[in-house]
Amino acid sequence: MLLLGALALAATLAPLVSPYDPEQTVADPFLPPSREHLLGTNDVGQDILSELIYGARISLTVGSLAAALAVGIGTTVGVVAGFSGGWTDVVLMRIVDLVLVIPFLPLVILLAAYLGPSYWNIIIVIGVLAWARPARVTRSQVLQVRSLDYVEAARAMGARPVRVMARHVLPAVLPLAMAQFIVAASNAILIEASLAFLGLGDPTAKSWGTVLYYAQVRNAFLSGAWVWWVLPPGLLITAATLGFALTGLSLEERLNPRVRRARAS
Amino acid sequence: MRALVLVLISALLVLCAPVPSPGQAASLRMAIGRDEGSLNPYTYQSGYPGWNLMTLIYEPLFAPDADNIPRPWLVRRYTVSPDGRTWTLALHPNIRWHDGRLLTADDVKFTYEYVRSHTHSRWTPQVRLIESIETSGATTLVMRLSAQSGGFLMQPLADLPILPRHIWEGVAEPRRFNDSTGSGPYRLAEMRDGQFYRLVANDAYFGGKPKVREITLPIVRDATVTFTALRAGEIDTTSRALSPELVAEFEKAGGLKVVRGAGYASTILQFNVEHPILKDVRLRQAIANAVNTRLMVRLLLLGYGVVGSPGYIHPDSPFYNPSVAFAASKSRAVQILNEAGYIDRDRDGIRETPDGRPLRFNLLTLAGNPIRVRGADLIRTWLRDVGIDARVVAQEDASIIAQVWPDFDVCKGRNFDMAVFGWSAPVMNRATNLRDLFHSDCRYGTINIGGYKNSEVDRLGNELAATAEPARQKRILYEMQKAIAADLPVHVLFYQDGIYAYRPERHDAWVYQKGQGIVNKLSFVDPPRR
Amino acid sequence: MDSAVWRFFAGRGAQYLLVLALTVALNFALPRMMPGSPLVFLAGEDVGFLDAEQRAQLYALHGLDQPRWRQFLTYVANLARGELGYSFQRGRPIAAMIGERLPWTLLLVGLSLVIATALGAALGALAAWRRGSAFDLGTLGVAVFFESAPPFWLGMILIAVFGAGLGWLPIFGAATAGQALAGWALLVDRARHLALPLATLTLINVPGTLLITRYSMLSVLGEQYIATARAKGVREQDVLRRHATRNALLPVATVFMLNLGYVASGATVVETVFSYPGVGRLLYEAVLNRDYPVLQGTFLIITVSVIAANIAADMLYPLLDPRVRRR
Repeated sequence: MLLLGALALAATLAPLVSPYDPEQTVADPFLPPSREHLLGTNDVGQDILSELIYGARISLTVGSLAAALAVGIGTTVGVVAGFSGGWTDVVLMRIVDLVLVIPFLPLVILLAAYLGPSYWNIIIVIGVLAWARPARVTRSQVLQVRSLDYVEAARAMGARPVRVMARHVLPAVLPLAMAQFIVAASNAILIEASLAFLGLGDPTAKSWGTVLYYAQVRNAFLSGAWVWWVLPPGLLITAATLGFALTGLSLEERLNPRVRRARAS
Repeated sequence: MRALVLVLISALLVLCAPVPSPGQAASLRMAIGRDEGSLNPYTYQSGYPGWNLMTLIYEPLFAPDADNIPRPWLVRRYTVSPDGRTWTLALHPNIRWHDGRLLTADDVKFTYEYVRSHTHSRWTPQVRLIESIETSGATTLVMRLSAQSGGFLMQPLADLPILPRHIWEGVAEPRRFNDSTGSGPYRLAEMRDGQFYRLVANDAYFGGKPKVREITLPIVRDATVTFTALRAGEIDTTSRALSPELVAEFEKAGGLKVVRGAGYASTILQFNVEHPILKDVRLRQAIANAVNTRLMVRLLLLGYGVVGSPGYIHPDSPFYNPSVAFAASKSRAVQILNEAGYIDRDRDGIRETPDGRPLRFNLLTLAGNPIRVRGADLIRTWLRDVGIDARVVAQEDASIIAQVWPDFDVCKGRNFDMAVFGWSAPVMNRATNLRDLFHSDCRYGTINIGGYKNSEVDRLGNELAATAEPARQKRILYEMQKAIAADLPVHVLFYQDGIYAYRPERHDAWVYQKGQGIVNKLSFVDPPRR
Repeated sequence: MDSAVWRFFAGRGAQYLLVLALTVALNFALPRMMPGSPLVFLAGEDVGFLDAEQRAQLYALHGLDQPRWRQFLTYVANLARGELGYSFQRGRPIAAMIGERLPWTLLLVGLSLVIATALGAALGALAAWRRGSAFDLGTLGVAVFFESAPPFWLGMILIAVFGAGLGWLPIFGAATAGQALAGWALLVDRARHLALPLATLTLINVPGTLLITRYSMLSVLGEQYIATARAKGVREQDVLRRHATRNALLPVATVFMLNLGYVASGATVVETVFSYPGVGRLLYEAVLNRDYPVLQGTFLIITVSVIAANIAADMLYPLLDPRVRRR
C-alpha cells in the first residue's frame, strides 16, 4: 500500500517533483543517463525521468479504474448468475459468450472513429470488453460455494438470498476478484498505449505505456539504452501491479475473517 | 517459480545443441517485412520492396538506371517518330521464359492488352494512351499513341513487366492467379506464406549470369528483431532502411557495411486547403514558419535527411528549382498572424479568426510510423507557442486514409484539417508528379488530397503531361515549384535518407539507385549489352 | 436417451445456435463498419490512379457493389456450403490460408497453455497452502513481475540473451528458411525455432493461472470442512490434495477452458516479435488491410472454438465437483 501511495503521490505532485517539463526538448536526443538527466533523454530530447513521473498519472488512473470497472461488472454478473441460476443464469451467460467473441481490434478501431480521443473512452472500452472473463470465473466459484452444505442449509432454513449472498458467497469470491483485479490492472496499463495509438487516446500524452512504445520502436533494445529507457517504465508497471497485489494481501486479512480463522486453527 | 525457471532453462539447453548451417557462399539472406504475394505483377503487395523483388522475376521493356533514367532492357533498339506518337521497338532475340519458351513480341502485345482489360491500379492507367500495337515477326512491335506523352517511356515502358502469354491467356481473375513464371534473372523456387521466399538464379538469363546464386527472403515482422538478426549474422541484409539511431552503431560493428543516399520519400504537413480557416494562405505560411523543419531533421532523423523544399521536389532531383528555398522563423509566424488579424482576443492562449473562431485543428498522423507521430507532436508544441491549438490524433493507416483520402479517390473529397502524411519515392520520380499532386481536376490531380486549386498550376500541369522533351519539362517544373511554394498547399517537412546495412562478405556489388535504395535489379545483374 | 437429458441438450443447443447466429452477423458487420476501404488490396498500389469505371469494376468483381444485406445473404449461403471465400489481399482460398497457419498456432499457443496451466496451478496451490511464507511471497512477486511485463519486452529480452547474445537459438521464423530438412534434423529445427516464442508465451501465461489458483484456494482453505479435516488430524498433504486442491479446481478449469477457446486466435504479439506464422498475425494483418473475407473466416473459427470451450466447461463442472449439479 505504501508502494502504491508513493507512486500516486509522485503522480499528484508531478509538476513539483519532476526535474523538467516532459513535453519540452531539453537536450540532445538519445543521451545516456547523466547528472542532469538521471535516466537520459528520449528520441526527441525529452527527459525520461520526467516523462515517467508525469506518466504515472494516466497509467495509474487507467489501470485502476478500468480494472475496477471490469472486475466490478464481472464479479456482480458472476455472482448473480451463479447464485440465482435458472433463466437469469442462462441469459447472463449467453451475453458473456457474446462479449467473449466480439473481435477486439475491429471494435476498437470502430469506436476510435466514432468516439474520438479521450481517456474516459479508454477506461470504458477496457472495462466494457474485459468483464466477461471475470464473470465466468466468478460464477464457477459461486456454483461451488452455493453447493456447500452450510450454504444450502442456510438457504433451506429460509435465509434471505441477499443475506446468504452477502454472508457466504461474497467473502468466498472476494479473493478471486482480487486476483482478477491484479491481472486486469496490469493489462490495462499495458494496453492503454496501444489504444492511444489506435485513436482512442492522446498519443502525445505521457504514460508508461507510451514511453515503452517509443523505446521499443526507436530500437532501445539494440543499444544499451534499454537499461535506462525500457527497464524503468517496465519496473514501474511491475511496482504498481505489485502495489495492487500487496494492498490486496492486507485487505484480504481484514475483509475475510475465515482466512484469519484458518490461520489461527 | 525458481523451479519453473530451472525447468525452462534445462529445456532450452536440450534444444540448444548446435546445428551447423551449410555456409553456401553464393547465397544471400535478405529479410523483408511482410508477405509479398506470389511476386507476379498482379499479386505482389507493396511498392517497396514488393515491386523491386517482382522485377527480379518479371521484366519490363526498359528499366531505370541508377539515376532513374529509363534504359533499354528487353528492348535492344528503338525509334520514336518525330511527333512522339509512334514507337518502334526491337526486342533482344534470345530471351527465354523460365520454362524455356521464347519471349516474343507477341507476349508484349498480349501483356499490354491484358492489363488494359484486367484492372491493376498501377498498370491499367499507364496504357491508356496506347491506340494500337502491331507485331512484325518475333521481335519487333510498333505502338501508336493517341497523343504525345511526357511520361510514356518511364511508364509503362520502363515499368510494366511482360507476362508470358502461354500461361496468362485465359486467366480471368489475375489477383487469384499465383503463377510466378517470368523471364528475369531470378525464378521463384519456393514460397511459404508468412515465412519466406527463395529465389534461384536463372542460368539461361539473356543478360548474363546473375551475381548471387540464391536469395532467401525470410519475413521478419518486427524492425528491432530484423536489425538484431542482422547484427547477429542471422541475415545478411534487409530491405528495411536502417533507423537513424542505429547508424553510428552499425558503422562501428564488425562485418557490416552501411551505405547512405538521398531518399525520395517525403514527409509532409498536408493542409486541407478547402478548410474554412486553413484556406487562408497567410495562415498556412504562418504555420510553416512556426514549424522548425531544420530542428526536426536534427532531432527525428539525427541529421540523416534533407530539409523539405516548399516546391516538393528533392534537392538531388534533376528537376529541383534551387530558387524556392524556405527558412522558418517563429517571429515571422507571429508577425503574419498578427497582421492577418488572428489575435487571441479572449486570452485563452489560442488565437481566433477576426470573426471569432479559435485556431483549433486536428492533426492526423499514421500510428504505425513513430517518426511521423513524433513529428506531429513537435508540430503541436511549436504551434502552441504561437497560439495555435493542434490536437494530434494517431490512428492506423486505413482509418487515416478514410479521412484524408476517402476510398483513395480525390473526387470524393476530404474530411480533415491537417495531417502529417507522406509520399513514397516513385512519386518523386514520375516526370508528371507535380500534376498528379496539385492539379485541381481530380481526374488528373489524382493525389491532390488537400483539394488545392490554382489555374496557373493546372495549365502548367497539362503542358507538362504533353511534353516529352526533357529541357522543356524542366522549365515547366521550375515554374510549378515556384507557384506551389508561394501557395503552400502542403508544407514539405523533410526527406529521410535511405540508409542500408549489409554484410559485404556475402555480397558487395550493391548499387544505390538514386532516391530508392539498394534493393533493385542492378544490385543483382548488369544491364544487358546491346 | 433420458428425455430430461435430451431436453437439456436441446435447450442448450438452441441457446448456442442463437449466440452463434448473432456472432456470425457481428463478424460480418464489424469489419465493414470500420472506417477505411479494402480497395488498395483489391487493386494493388498506386490505387489513386484508377478512374471511376475501373473502381466500379473492381467492386463488382468482389461483390462489394451489392447492398450490404445482399452481401450478407451471399456470405451466409456460402458459409452454409462450407465456403469461406478468397482473401482480397492474397487472392487465395481462406480455408487454405487458415489451414497453413493453424498448426503453428496450435503448437505454440496450445503447448504453452498446457505448460502454463500445469505450472500455474501447482505453484498457486503451494503458495496458497503456505500462505504468508517466504515461498508464497516470492512466488507472488515473481508472478506479478511476469504478469506486468509487456510481452514484447519479455520476448526481446529472451532474444537478446538466448538468440543474439549467446547465439543458442534462432530469433525469427518457425523453420530455417529455404532449407530442406527431414526426420530428426527437421524436428530439432522446428523445436529450436519454437523454444523462444514458447518460453515467452508461457512466462506470460503462468501468472494468470497462478494468481487465480492461489486466491481461489484461499477462499476454500477457510471453509469449515477443511478446518474439520485438519482438526481430525488428516495429514496436511492429504488435505491439500484431496480437499483443497480439488475444490479450487473449478475456477482454474474455467480459466483453462476460456484460454483453450482462444488458442485458435493465436498470440499476435509473440507471433509478431518472433515472426511466427500463426493465426494471430494473419488476423492482425487482415484487420489493418480490411480483408473482410479473411476476417470473417478467422473470427468464425475463433467464435466456434470459444463457444465450444464454454460448453465443454459447463459440462465439466459436475464431473470436477459432483456437488455442482446440473440445472
